[in-house]
Amino acid sequence: MPDTDQRNDTPAIELRNIDKSFYGVFANADVNFSLAKGEVHTLLGENGAGKSTLCSVMAGLYRPDSGEMLFDGKPTVFKSPKDALAAGVGMVYQHFRLVANLTVAENLALGNPEVGLRLSQSELEAEAKELGERYDFPVDPSARIWQLSVGQQQRVEILKLLYRDAKILILDEPTAVLTPQEGESLFRAMRMLADEGRSLIFVSHKLHEVKAVSDRVTVLREGRVVGAVDTVDAEPRDLARMMVGKDLVLPTRKPNESVGDEVLVIKDLVVEDDRGLDAVDGLSITVNAGEVVGIAGVSGNGQRELAQGIVGLMKVKSGSVYLDGTDVTKMSVLAKIKRGIAYVPQSRLGMGLAPGLTTEDNLALKQYREPPYSKGPLLSAAAFKQKGAELIEQFDVRGVRPGLPIRLLSGGNLQKALIAREVVQDHSLLIARSPTRGLDVGATATVRDHILAERDRGIAVLLISEDLDELLALSDRLVVIYEGRIVGEMLASEATAERLGLLMSGHQEDQPA
Amino acid sequence: MSRRIIIVEPRGLAPWWLKLLIPIASVVAALALGALFLMLTGNDWIEVYAKMTDAAFGSGRGFAETLVSATPLILTGVAAAIAFKMLVWNIGGEGQLMVGAIAAAGVGIWLGGGTPPIIAITAVVLAGAIGGAFWASLSAVPKVYLGTNEIITTLMLNFIALNLMQYLVLGSFSPWRDPEATQFPQGRPIIDSARIPEFFHRLDWGLFIAVFVAILAWFVISKTRTGFEYRIVGDSFNTARYAGIRVPKKVLGTFLLSGASAGLAGSILVAGILGKMDPRSLDLGLGFTGIIVAALARLNPIAIIPVAILMGALNNAGPALQSIGVPTATVKILQGAILIFAVAGEFLIGNRFRRPRESVDETPEPAKEASAA
Repeated sequence: MPDTDQRNDTPAIELRNIDKSFYGVFANADVNFSLAKGEVHTLLGENGAGKSTLCSVMAGLYRPDSGEMLFDGKPTVFKSPKDALAAGVGMVYQHFRLVANLTVAENLALGNPEVGLRLSQSELEAEAKELGERYDFPVDPSARIWQLSVGQQQRVEILKLLYRDAKILILDEPTAVLTPQEGESLFRAMRMLADEGRSLIFVSHKLHEVKAVSDRVTVLREGRVVGAVDTVDAEPRDLARMMVGKDLVLPTRKPNESVGDEVLVIKDLVVEDDRGLDAVDGLSITVNAGEVVGIAGVSGNGQRELAQGIVGLMKVKSGSVYLDGTDVTKMSVLAKIKRGIAYVPQSRLGMGLAPGLTTEDNLALKQYREPPYSKGPLLSAAAFKQKGAELIEQFDVRGVRPGLPIRLLSGGNLQKALIAREVVQDHSLLIARSPTRGLDVGATATVRDHILAERDRGIAVLLISEDLDELLALSDRLVVIYEGRIVGEMLASEATAERLGLLMSGHQEDQPA
Repeated sequence: MSRRIIIVEPRGLAPWWLKLLIPIASVVAALALGALFLMLTGNDWIEVYAKMTDAAFGSGRGFAETLVSATPLILTGVAAAIAFKMLVWNIGGEGQLMVGAIAAAGVGIWLGGGTPPIIAITAVVLAGAIGGAFWASLSAVPKVYLGTNEIITTLMLNFIALNLMQYLVLGSFSPWRDPEATQFPQGRPIIDSARIPEFFHRLDWGLFIAVFVAILAWFVISKTRTGFEYRIVGDSFNTARYAGIRVPKKVLGTFLLSGASAGLAGSILVAGILGKMDPRSLDLGLGFTGIIVAALARLNPIAIIPVAILMGALNNAGPALQSIGVPTATVKILQGAILIFAVAGEFLIGNRFRRPRESVDETPEPAKEASAA
């Protein structure tokens, strides 16, 4: 509880004018931040707002380019996470740092300088058990990490910090991997830790969680602090506006004139993620010819599973996908390509392109089975060369040299090549995931033009993105998803930052904010 | 972190001459290392290398023997190359060769003496390929459908194949054992009409089968639709899936073809120079040497042919060294050194060195997990 009378109550951590950039791109700019002792402090922001970078700076993983960090009032520079932990600052990363083949107790002991050469399993296990019970965080200390659920593994990560008696715990999007029940128990433990006088930094972009657990909120946007408020005073509406930022500039582009027939119809789609949870959870969408439907949402809310479920890369658990009136739910990837689904995946080199093959080879990746690329079982090198040259010219792909692996092209040129290949094949549906992510201004404009050109020639476009600018610049209709379900739908022209921000953070439309 | 004196960075596109120069330089470097070793052990390295060259290339007979040694290495080299290109770590060429030999000898013994040569030879040679593919399938099927690690399974199956082969001749009275060999157990000869004819000293037409397989592998990989699919899969499983290619099928296919090529090496030995399944002559590490051949050839099936001849020459030169009192194992040292230099050279093809520019500050690198979010 804020105790204003105690003026000498120095903050546990104070950041002053922290800058951190990667390869000339700012991840954090001029950040000021203060964490009081015994408080739970939320860092709130969209994807890419700089939350994880800031946490990593405090945990000693990154060193700030400039600025000062005061730890318990004293200027401090952590040389490494080990250094930070020795001083009492520990972080639970989004990707756990646990050794899968070791037991819980062994993982706790790992890296602890007080554990000498001799390990006593039973002592370690007793300690781990005692620690778990104290925080109502039961885990079997003799269990091996791989046997535990993700939620249990996260508990081990937290116990690891408590075992080292961390006074400041940084939890980077801890609830992203948890079920709601697991989330509840995490929040209880967090409160208990705060009551003991420890300080917690909690990273999230879910507004209801902010309200549920934290004392104070600092909102980040584009690497900068937008504001810090006490949770009791924070209106979800205000937080959403701060998070999404600037009044949205509605794009100046002509609306689509005529919407054609239904091309893609999805009914009650359920797709499991790699962990077997329903990441897409009963979703229904229709995309018509000649319109762009934008799927908005914070990443990790089922976007990947939705796209991959439609194109056939992930198994559809239930529900159906219709393309031009035909049920294509169970068809193979190849059958769907042939039926006319073009797909621009999020990861260019990880999925859309074969990094080690040439640009010409990559441009033929979907059509090599047919003439002129194939003549019977043989390939026509001349066709690869000629068709490749045509597309490279037409789509202005630069930097191509004979024999050069495509991975050596720049991001913008990679994307141009990828889009060239996808839009020249016969198709009625284009699915694009974050197509302008990481591109410079010029390449972004080119890619957007291509997508709008697709729409204007009557293709149905499903745009899945986390970037609101991109969604608003391209979409005719916007659908907001949260935890695999649709939570709101609107015309792009009616979208406001506040409304999108609230929906994306999991506030239902009909709930009072 | 201290200031770096040399910066290593990925090279864009290596020029063609570098790709040729580096393997040659690795061989030269290995020979230089060998010379150093010979000098330190009190030998005249010039004499040793002269003797080796003479044994391998100095006479018609010597050259024929070099090619005889090279023949199975071309096939085990192709076996390793096509698998490695697809990221299938088949190191079971050894066992696949032996099971190929068992199958080939079995068919060669079982066939009646009156079988016309063309049919008999074809049957025996193909039996070897099928045997090798079968042995590979024991690792391939679990890998594709259960995700087992093929490095472990192929390696273990090498030992099982070796013991099986030895058992059939040395440990039992199986049809593979020659009933007429009373002194020491031997393999039973296959029928004469199944023997591949010789045409130059001990060299037989098996060499051309091996060369044909290498050229065929190159042709399929670079000129056909199937080969294109294999190249995509070998580059990125995800991209292949995305392009509608059934990756498990391709991995399985590669693995079986790899095993078939190694098995072919076994059958060509049985139907060629050996004429029977001789456990001693089939246990020379030909499968493992094939891995060296493939690596040195940078997994290019055509390049495998000259590299296999080089390795064959070294193998062939080994016994000649004994006459001048140098251990045969010198050859193994040279082969090992060549592999190490070739692998190191691979790094030079992919990367280059440069001096850091004076003015630029060392930028701290973000950790690998850097999600600047």
